[in-house]
Amino acid sequence: MLLQCLNITYRYPQGDALIFHDLNCGLADPGFHGLFGPSGVGKSTLARIIAGEISGFAGEIRRRDRADILYSSNTERLPGWSSVGDHLTKVTPAANLPLLQELIRAFDLGSCVDSRFSQLSLGQKNRANLTRYLLQDFDLLIMDESLANVDEATRKQIIVTIKQIFPDRYFLYISHSVAEVATFCARILVLRDIHKSPQLIEVAGRDHHGDTSLDRTALERAMLEIVHAA
Amino acid sequence: MLHKRLSQFLIIYFLGLGLLLAVKYCFGLSDYVIPGFTDMQNTAQAVAAGYLRAVLDTLGVAVIGHLLAIALATVVAIVGRPDNLLGTMIKTAAYNLQAYPIVAVAPIIFILLGDGLPSRLLIAAIICYFPLLLSFIGILSEPVAGIEHFYIVTGRMRWQLEVKIRAFENIHKLITVVTGSATLAMVGTIVAEFIGADSGIGYSLRIALYQSDIAKVLVALFLIGVFNSLYLVGLELLGLAVRKRMGVEQRIQQ
Repeated sequence: MLLQCLNITYRYPQGDALIFHDLNCGLADPGFHGLFGPSGVGKSTLARIIAGEISGFAGEIRRRDRADILYSSNTERLPGWSSVGDHLTKVTPAANLPLLQELIRAFDLGSCVDSRFSQLSLGQKNRANLTRYLLQDFDLLIMDESLANVDEATRKQIIVTIKQIFPDRYFLYISHSVAEVATFCARILVLRDIHKSPQLIEVAGRDHHGDTSLDRTALERAMLEIVHAA
Repeated sequence: MLHKRLSQFLIIYFLGLGLLLAVKYCFGLSDYVIPGFTDMQNTAQAVAAGYLRAVLDTLGVAVIGHLLAIALATVVAIVGRPDNLLGTMIKTAAYNLQAYPIVAVAPIIFILLGDGLPSRLLIAAIICYFPLLLSFIGILSEPVAGIEHFYIVTGRMRWQLEVKIRAFENIHKLITVVTGSATLAMVGTIVAEFIGADSGIGYSLRIALYQSDIAKVLVALFLIGVFNSLYLVGLELLGLAVRKRMGVEQRIQQ
């Protein structure tokens, strides 16, 4: 078990209302997992609590010893004083430089490396940002809508590539696309409104790796389960 | 840029001059109170060379004072940037001190340092220092979460990088503040010279005041306006060059 959240209760510092109450969840096995739920339910907040970026909650987060957890989101930007390629090279540990080239190819960023971040499209920006996180040493990478604004085909290619390159790492993918999380995630943590009990339900996904055809009936069943749980 | 600044100044200057002459002729004021246009021309020819040297002297002091203030404000803003005890103390002191009309301490400076260059320089610097400091502290204390997050969570954040990110993201504000404070540096120098120095255009203005010679004052105002405009344009061009070098222009076009 890489991570276990036990009885997490939290309210925003400025707010009176609770956002989580006795919430429990965990990530037992490596792979691509989803965090799904309606807008405003607290997905990003839970993700940042897991990443250690938010404190002041009640309950306990148990992590495997020295587990590196990174949180990335689609609101992040690369600094504008150098090209995307220069930035990626600079923040990549030497051992991961070959991987950088592989990711640039797989994420179709070849045409962007000489451009400044501000010159990229929204989809390219998100891919460039995700790339630099994937090049770091991590055990769990939380991807908070990291592939927003990326077209469906490229998104699929990116997820499949991540699964191929990092089979031993943990990913927590936050998305509003039921079909996407149902297709590619092994487990989906469905976060619900605080008034529902339990607040978080786990649903099994299809964990598709792109190499075999999808069982459409099973996928639809998983999607229905997610929608009903939410 | 230069054309725009100079033409703006010239329009205002000659409108003011026209108004002054209109008052003179409407109320039949004597040449002693407001000299006629010919007297002004004669005075200009007589004092232009000396006043030009005085304005350049003043501008030189203002530029050095301005640079000192920028350097000091940068250092203090970097030190006062963190959200800790020292940072809070520096911010509080800066906010309180800037509320005081600092030019009022000029006599003390003249008493302690005499009427030479150090006094003029110090007064020029402190008059533009506090507005610079407040802006610099505000800019350098404000996190740019979207960019800084990656460096923080990957353990790469250093204070130099933090300052670089915040300065880069606010380069327009910084350039505007630096350009805006240039006029304050010029004002500070002139005020210092007017109060107690023995050189510079402020000193010449003091003599013109004692002689009740409006023509001399108008010549001085003309030269001050022209050279202040040139200094502002120089700073704006420098800011443009900095922005281009840092690639900020590409960002603006997006």
